[in-house]
Amino acid sequence: MRRIIFALVMLLVVSAAMRVEAQVKGLIVGPGAQRYPIAVSLLKNLGPAMDDPKFSEGIADIIARDLDLSGWFRIIDRATYLEDPKTSGIRLGRFDFRDWSTLGAEALVKGGFELKDGVLITEFRLFDVFQRRQRGGKRYTGQIQDYRRMAHKFVDEIIFQFTGVRGAFDTRITYVSTGAGRFKEIYVAHLDGTDREQVTNNRSINLSPSWSPNGRSVLYTSYKDGKPKVYRYDFTSGSDIEFSGRKGLNLSGSWSADGKRIALSLENKGNVDIYLLDSKGKIVKRLTRSTGIDVSPTWSLKGDQVAFVSNRSGRPQIYIIDISTLKTRRLTYSGKYNTSPEWSAKVDKITYAGMSDGRFNIFSIPSQGGDPRQLTANAGDNEDPSWSPDGRYIVFSSNRTGRYQVYVMRANGDNQRILTGSSGDDTNPSWSPRLQ
Amino acid sequence: MIYRWNFPLSVFVLASSVSLVGCVPGMMGSSSSSSDQSGATGGGERGISSSEVPPSAQARSLEAFQRGSEIPSTSSSSKSSSLQDIYFEFNRFTLRPEARETLNANARWLQNNPRGRIEIEGHADEKGGNEYNLALGARRAQAVKDYLVTLGIGSNRLSTISYGEELPVCKTKSETCWQKNRRIHFVIIGFGPAS
Repeated sequence: MRRIIFALVMLLVVSAAMRVEAQVKGLIVGPGAQRYPIAVSLLKNLGPAMDDPKFSEGIADIIARDLDLSGWFRIIDRATYLEDPKTSGIRLGRFDFRDWSTLGAEALVKGGFELKDGVLITEFRLFDVFQRRQRGGKRYTGQIQDYRRMAHKFVDEIIFQFTGVRGAFDTRITYVSTGAGRFKEIYVAHLDGTDREQVTNNRSINLSPSWSPNGRSVLYTSYKDGKPKVYRYDFTSGSDIEFSGRKGLNLSGSWSADGKRIALSLENKGNVDIYLLDSKGKIVKRLTRSTGIDVSPTWSLKGDQVAFVSNRSGRPQIYIIDISTLKTRRLTYSGKYNTSPEWSAKVDKITYAGMSDGRFNIFSIPSQGGDPRQLTANAGDNEDPSWSPDGRYIVFSSNRTGRYQVYVMRANGDNQRILTGSSGDDTNPSWSPRLQ
Repeated sequence: MIYRWNFPLSVFVLASSVSLVGCVPGMMGSSSSSSDQSGATGGGERGISSSEVPPSAQARSLEAFQRGSEIPSTSSSSKSSSLQDIYFEFNRFTLRPEARETLNANARWLQNNPRGRIEIEGHADEKGGNEYNLALGARRAQAVKDYLVTLGIGSNRLSTISYGEELPVCKTKSETCWQKNRRIHFVIIGFGPAS
């Protein structure tokens, strides 16, 4: 039976690969094709406290939503479930697999919660309905407000069980929003829009937030002092310090994976170049010396190279520089206007926004070069792409509905979903690393 | 606030229209004659009316934005300021011939107001990445500053700042609108000696 599951997983992988082919050929393959049918039961109250739909339904909703968003699963409608979650058990032997196989479920998520003295304990199990066995189980202990993260964490575990690589749902997105007003402030929220936190509130212009590799800080550019300077906000301490306030433009850039170096753009009399700074903000090395514009640096996986935008050829294109030899090569040749690159921390690819026929779309290209793949089309302007830490998804901003909102899609362009829904413009999304 | 300019402007226009005859940019008249001019406008009535003295500063685009006022712009049809905006082609920072003409006129204002200090605001349209556009705005501002310096304006009177695509004067999605946003806007930030 294990072979059957393995075969099914392989089928998923192969079908994903086939879809990639289809994308290139321009065929439209609807989202939802070849998804693995999974049921997510309501959580059972295991403790003495009163039942709380926030946990029983709320957690099941989060798990179902994340699994759906992942693109791998088809969620079997809860309204069709046969068993009573209050009376059936969550352990092997305490419920009937036939209640689930009848529905066509091939996998089943069950769980329970216990609330005692303000401490929340949740327990999750993933079952293989065909094999009638448990494939994974986790118990989490935390505070009441941690219930959403517990759900996201178990989704990451489910995805690990199916693919061998942990999911990326226990993460956050930082982005710029005009909210209901005109100021551009920085926010951070979970992918599902919950747990939203306002990082800046200075009634000015704040831009380009980027995460530290430990997920505890963001660097951003702000005009809160009247001039464009780079600041560093720390989530744990709430401290907000000026990181680079040199004369002219200071533009927030990118943190190396070891956290020791920050690549950012600084201006010298109109000429913007890329520099490496240490974690205190001191210049360690100047990377580019072109007379053109060099902006938007992003680190390679190994930390030995930086990709960036330069107009040295006349129009903005993506280049890659080796930080020890300073040898530079041009990465993008197709398209006349390519900006906003981000190098995945997981796969050796770079995503960027490129303009054709006056519209911007998201592309990805192998870092060694080659043909870029277009991931969005015929849906307004699509900009500011950012990879999920597992390299499987990309968040970006799009004005396809009129206003800019943040969207997520699989790295092959499938399953595009809107994430934010503010009354203003939401731009510059950046996906956090995995949270600790 | 900005429109208070109308008044002192009319004063110096009278004076400058005299002093500028034959004064080609790059061939500045002596700075003393310019000083005399500014002294003359305020001098005769000093102590009588403080409104004769030009306001100390105009609002920067960022300040206007933060207050919720319209982002200031001074196209050639507008008479609200002595310093006219100039415009650029998409993704360029080279100065078009008409931009140079406007800058020549702006340089004359600076020659006639030798204590005036200005900030050169570089702006871009919304197309492209925010960061690239900030760098493009910086490029445009510097190109203008360099040009004014070649006309003899002291660089210590000229500061630059880029706002990229962040402070558009026009918000519809059309080339006409984008053209209005690809601009340099000038702000008189003071009349004292350069600090």
